[in-house]
Order: sequence, then C-alpha cells, then structure tokens
Amino acid sequence: MNALALCAESVAAAPGRNEKIARVAAYLRTLSDDDLSRAVLYLSGQTFPASDPRKLSVGHATLRPALAEVTGWDLETIALCYREVGDTGEAFALLLRPLGHLTPLSLVEAEQLYLTLAAARRTAQKLDLLIRIFRTYHWLAIKYFLKAITGNLRIGLQQKMVEESLALATAVPVEQVRAAHNRSGDLARVARAARHGSLDSIEAVLFHPLDFMLAKPLDAAAELADPSQWLVEDKYDGIRAQAHIAHGQVRLFTRGLEEATAAFPEILLALAHLPGPLILDGEILAWRDGRALAFSVLQPRIARKKVSAKTIADVPVIFLAYDLLMAGGHLQFEVPVELRRRRLETLGLPHLAPQTSLHLREEIETHFQAARARGNEGLILKRSGSLYESGKRGGHWLKVKRPYGTLDVVVTAAEQGHGRRASVWSDVTFAVRAGDRFLNVGKAYSGLTDDEIKKLTVLFKAATLERFGRVSLLRPEVVLEVAFDGVQKSPRHKSGFALRFPRILRWRTDKRPEDCDTVDRVRELYESSLRS
Amino acid sequence: MEIAFRNEGIYLPQIDLWLDPRALVEHAWLSHAHSDHARGLHSTVIGTRATLAIYRHRWPLPPGRLQQILPLNPNESLDWRGARLTPLRAAHILGAAQLLIEYQGERIVYTGDIKLRAPICGWPTQLVSCDRLIIESTFGLPIYQFLDASAARARIVLFAQETLAAGLTPVFLGYGLGRGQEIVHTLTQAGLPCSVHGAIAGLLPYYEAEGYEFPGWQPYQRRKVETSALVVTPGMQDSLAIPSAQVRVALVSGWAAVDSARARSGADVLIPYSDHASFPELLEMVHASGASHIDVVHGYTEPFARLLRLRGHNAHAAGTAVPTEVQV
Repeated sequence: MNALALCAESVAAAPGRNEKIARVAAYLRTLSDDDLSRAVLYLSGQTFPASDPRKLSVGHATLRPALAEVTGWDLETIALCYREVGDTGEAFALLLRPLGHLTPLSLVEAEQLYLTLAAARRTAQKLDLLIRIFRTYHWLAIKYFLKAITGNLRIGLQQKMVEESLALATAVPVEQVRAAHNRSGDLARVARAARHGSLDSIEAVLFHPLDFMLAKPLDAAAELADPSQWLVEDKYDGIRAQAHIAHGQVRLFTRGLEEATAAFPEILLALAHLPGPLILDGEILAWRDGRALAFSVLQPRIARKKVSAKTIADVPVIFLAYDLLMAGGHLQFEVPVELRRRRLETLGLPHLAPQTSLHLREEIETHFQAARARGNEGLILKRSGSLYESGKRGGHWLKVKRPYGTLDVVVTAAEQGHGRRASVWSDVTFAVRAGDRFLNVGKAYSGLTDDEIKKLTVLFKAATLERFGRVSLLRPEVVLEVAFDGVQKSPRHKSGFALRFPRILRWRTDKRPEDCDTVDRVRELYESSLRS
Repeated sequence: MEIAFRNEGIYLPQIDLWLDPRALVEHAWLSHAHSDHARGLHSTVIGTRATLAIYRHRWPLPPGRLQQILPLNPNESLDWRGARLTPLRAAHILGAAQLLIEYQGERIVYTGDIKLRAPICGWPTQLVSCDRLIIESTFGLPIYQFLDASAARARIVLFAQETLAAGLTPVFLGYGLGRGQEIVHTLTQAGLPCSVHGAIAGLLPYYEAEGYEFPGWQPYQRRKVETSALVVTPGMQDSLAIPSAQVRVALVSGWAAVDSARARSGADVLIPYSDHASFPELLEMVHASGASHIDVVHGYTEPFARLLRLRGHNAHAAGTAVPTEVQV
C-alpha cells in the first residue's frame, strides 16, 4: 500500500490522462501477480471485486470513533476537518501524520485487513480493528487504504483508466481487458489473466450486472439515414433492469448496477421457471390490463428491501423483456439483434416487448404516436445486424423521446462538493414559487461549467442565511433552467413533488426569483403524467 | 484593558489605538504590509520601518495630505497615551511584527499574522509572556501542517530543476507580497533563471534594502515564451503566452496542505509552505505566552477557540462574526 500510495500521489500531480495511465502502468509492471490483482482493485476504488458479494460495511459511524480514539481529537473536530478536506482518507491521514507511525502496509496485509473487516459481525470488532490499523501503519498508506473503502481515490483516475493502465502494463488490447472485466466483474482475476494472455478463458458470471447497451437520442426523423435498416420497439418509462436467472433463482439489477431483487417478489416468481443460465435486458413496469402505467405509479415500489402484500396488490409489476444477454450459459454480445430476438421469442417469456420493422421515415411519427397512445415514452430503434454493445452509447440504438419540458427554478440551498469540487458549492437544491414562498422540488449536481460553479459559489456565499455542516440555506436569488424526465410525488420536498433526473440547462441571469415557475405548474405536469 | 472587536478592526478605546483597521481611523498599528492589514491613510500609522516603507509604496501620500508616521525597530518602545507599545519580531513577511501593549500593569500581545518557524525572507518570531494574547487562526485546524523553510526551498528548487530538465516551463504561484519574493529568492540563490511578474518584482527593492539578494532575475514579459522559471500571482497561469501543455504549475501556499487545492488553483504540484502558523505552531505559541485570556481572530476562530478551551485555556473567538457598534 505504501508504494501504491506513492504511485497514486504521483498520478494526482501528473498532467493529463496519458501521463497518469503511463505512471500507473509503470507501477503495475513492478508487481507480482498477486499484488497486481490487489493493486488494480484498490486503484479503482474497490476493496473486493464487483462480483464478490462481500461488503465492508464501514462508514463514518465506525471510522470516526476509531480515529478519535487514536488521535484524541473529538468527533466535532474530526467532522470539521473532513468538511474542509472533502475526503475521508485524506482527512484521516492528515490527522494521523503527526503521530509518526512508520510501519509500512503491504498489499497482502491490506487484503487481509479488508477480509477481516468484512468478516467482523459486530461494530465493536470493526472498531477494534480500525483502531489497531490507525495505531500501526504509515499515514500515507492509510490514506489510500481508506480511499479504496470510500470508493473514490480522487486522483483523476477513473476505473476506465485503470483498465487502460492494466492493458498497457500487460501489452493486451484495452477492449479485451474491458470486455473481460464487464463479463466477470472481477478486475483482480482479469489482471492476472491479462498478464498471462488468458483473458479468453474468463467467462461471464451470472448474478453480477453487465453494462447495459445505451441509446443515442434521435432528434429528428430526417437524421435517420436508410430507414429500412431499423427495428422499432416502444420505449418504456419504467426501471431498466437485467434479470439473471439460473436453477430457479432470479436476481434483478438496475441501470446503476444496483441490485433490486428484494423489491419485486412477483417478478422472481414469474421468471424462476425459465431455462438458465439466462440474462434478460428489459424494463420493470407497473402493469395493468395489458399496458404499462406511468412511472409515478411505479414509484412506491422502488428501492424497497421489503414489500407488503397490499403494495403488491395496489401496484402490480412485471418484467418486460426486450433483449437477451445470455442464453444457455452463453453470452450473446456477439449475436446479431435479429437472432437474439428469435431466441428471446422461443423462451416462453411471460412478457416480451413487441418489435416491428421500419420501412419508411414517415412511419417514425406514426409509431411514436401509437407508443404514446399506449402510455409509453417513445421509441427505441435498433439497427439491423447490430451486436449488443455492452456499456456503449454507440448509435446502434436510437431513442425517440418527446422532451418532457423545462422549468425555471430558484436555488434555495447549496452544498459543498466532494474531492475536486470540495472547494465549491456545486450541489444545489432548487424550488418553485408558491405565492410569496419557494418550495423545493429537487436537487441537481450537473450541467454547469466549472467556471459558472465558481462564480455561483461566490454568489451563494454572499446569499447564505444559515449553514448546517456542508449545506447552506440561501436567500432565493439565483434562477436556473432545469430539464427533467418526469414529475413524481415526494415526501422529502416541501412542494410535495420531485423532478426526475433533473439537470441544469443554464443559469438564467436574465430572470428574477419571482419569474420562476410555480408549484401549480408542477402539479399540472404531474397530473397529466398520470392521465397519459 | 478594554478591547473592542469591531467590524473595522480591533480597537483599544483607553488609548485610542486601532490594530490593523480595515476602515479609515485616527491612529493605527500596522502589523505588516498585506493589504488586508495595512490599508488607507490613517492620521497616524505605527509599524516597523519595512512595513511602513511597503505600506507607503502601496498607499502613497497625496500632495498636501499630512500623516504622522511612527516607525519603530523591534523591541524599541513608544510611549503612547499612558501605554507602552513595543513591536516584537513576527515571522510572516518582511517587517512583520507583533505588538506588546503594556498598560497599567497588564501585558497584551497582538500577534498580527504570524508563524513560529523561521521564514525564507524575514525574521524569526520572538516569544514573550503576556497576560492576554490576541492570536490569528488562519490555519486553526489540525489538518494544516506545513514544510519548514529549508524543506520548502528544496522542493521549490527540485520542481524547477526537474521541470526545466524535461524541457517544460515551471510556473510558481505565490502571493504578490511575501511568498512571491521568497520563491524568487530561493530560485536566484540556487542559480536558476527566473522571470518575475511585476506585482512581485515591484516589491523586490524593499527586500534588497533589508539585505536580501536576487541575482539575475528578469522581468516577466507577457508575450515572450520563457525558457526560465516563472513566478506569478495565483490565477495568472491561465493568461501565459506558453501553451498549457508546455507548463507545469506549482502552488506554494498553506492551502496546498490539502489535495483539493490542486483543482482550486489549477496547480499540478502542491508545496505546502505558509507564512501563517500551522496548527501545532499555534498551540505552541499559545502555550509559550502563558496568557490567561486568549482572543482568536481570523480564520477558524470558533473551532480553534473551542480546541483551546478543551485544553483548559480561557479562549474566545473574537472574529467579526459578532458585529459590535458601528463606528462612524
């Protein structure tokens, strides 16, 4: 871990992507096979491979008391230091440095410590172990030991760049490294195989989510060259998900690669009989009388660890399949879309999305209107003969969507960002007007340039009414235009509504807070979404 | 002695003296020449010779305007309205000083901006005991730990040498008064070529007057593509004539103690060296003063005062967060 930490510090200071990758590759070349496997994991902010079910379950509530015990700093000071630094690993390392512990931490010891932490059942055991770690090892090693736990090294090295570094260090094409990592979810195994030229032997693993193929927006039908080369399906407004099925076991993973199995017991029952090992790509939908209900109806079913019989009766859900990633244990990425479709049709699925072929450009509008009439969001076009490009938005899938609309909102609170954005207030909460009050409808993190964020931070600081840790309540002054994909009910926001996937389109310096949209307008949008 | 912490600065009503006032006042002690401490044409200014010389450079006296100027050497006392004022050396920038105020048997020390470790250019801090200490807390959290002067010099020289050897231009970001001159001094003393931005170069004569030498520095010219190290003020790295791929940037600052300074400043390399005290230095100064009453000004006033109280000190945040009556 000491050498990894030195490598990481040098990567942080390296100018540009290529130089960072070169430095990581140079470090990886010096390592034994076992250490190579460990280093690629830790450098990509993982303690265990993604496909490994083990979890550390170590958070502020355990880490901070352990640090307090070792350094003598009280929790309030530790929280304040964390706030100023914006990263747990770095803040802890700075507080441990004066103690001058020098014991180096090897990668194999780090692995043992992660294993022990994961195995510890009780918080007290984790606490004791963390205290021992903080009392022993060099602060710089602890900095990166903790960053791997919190999941982000904040040195400008994304997971893709670790894959590239590994490819460079082992002289293997990066696409092969990426593909093997995607299918196995085990970068440690991939690293060893890359070095030994045996990436082909790495097989797809069930019950670990694969990257989804993504669609590019088609802004105008006129942009579509050669209309006869496309297949058409409805675009559904539910939860994009993968169903992994084998031996009567079913697990569901969402687009964020999170597991959602527990929330949808009836889907498990509906799919369990299918011949495995099988992986389906599709949509979780609220469903009644042969058609999908609005996303807002599905909402009470989302992100639940348990679900009551009443909820299941109130909001029945299905898994609507529309693509095939694995059949009979074989990955289908290299199989053309028509053949994948034919195989899907032979499976005897309870729900399969209808598909037709496109002939004329003009038909896009007809199909689109029909999809809207069925209560769906729009269309997905899949190019004839295309393969399943896992993790790519390569233009072989196109989506036709009506923009839901935009709202002018006013910023009512801002929060310090993390890492690179620790010094700016980049995360904003925004509101719409209700008479002379402003009621929150959402939070957004993206859409503004670094320069705009810097300028806004100055305005936000001047408009601060009160600070609560990282969050500041603001006088409503700054107006933003936000785009979003829908409106849903929200107990969290005072307006009673939340925008789905809000992103900032622009900073409306031309508008005043009293010019922004009203809560009535938001209610209208919500109600029209229920009717459609 | 009564001490009023006001928005305009620290005021001692019994002797009608302001310490580092931000607004125009009658009589002002200027602890050092940074513009957030020495600003405006007060009727009387008291400070060290170097401080007042740089202050005059930045705040020239218009013709016909009168000002009483009272330059003092360190440890040279001035009797002022029943009190005795004695400047004490402060390690910060050239000429920086603490002020010892002795009044009716009470000893008060106002540190101004200060650190305990010796600076690259400037004098070391003089520690004296006092009854009441007014101390700054710019870096009053334990995460702030800095290099000492010799380590900082070594890092500055190494960065310049390595970058030049790679055929690139090393750019140093440092404040216009203090840090900038220290970097130029470090580079020129190591025999490295360097070009200096006007905001920094304009004050080099005041350092030369105090005996510091800067052999061979060149004025920075905006349109010229440099083959030497550049010393500029923060933010300037974006307006250089050289393509950014040819440039490596180092931030020399106390804020460089935290990694996010990289994104904030645009620097590649962080050299955590400050002219303010690190957290352990602040504690050491408090301890050495033996003061029974500590007022904390600037920066992390409340957290630092709280940490002092946890250590048994009678300490209070005396920032401007609590506005007192407004002086007209």
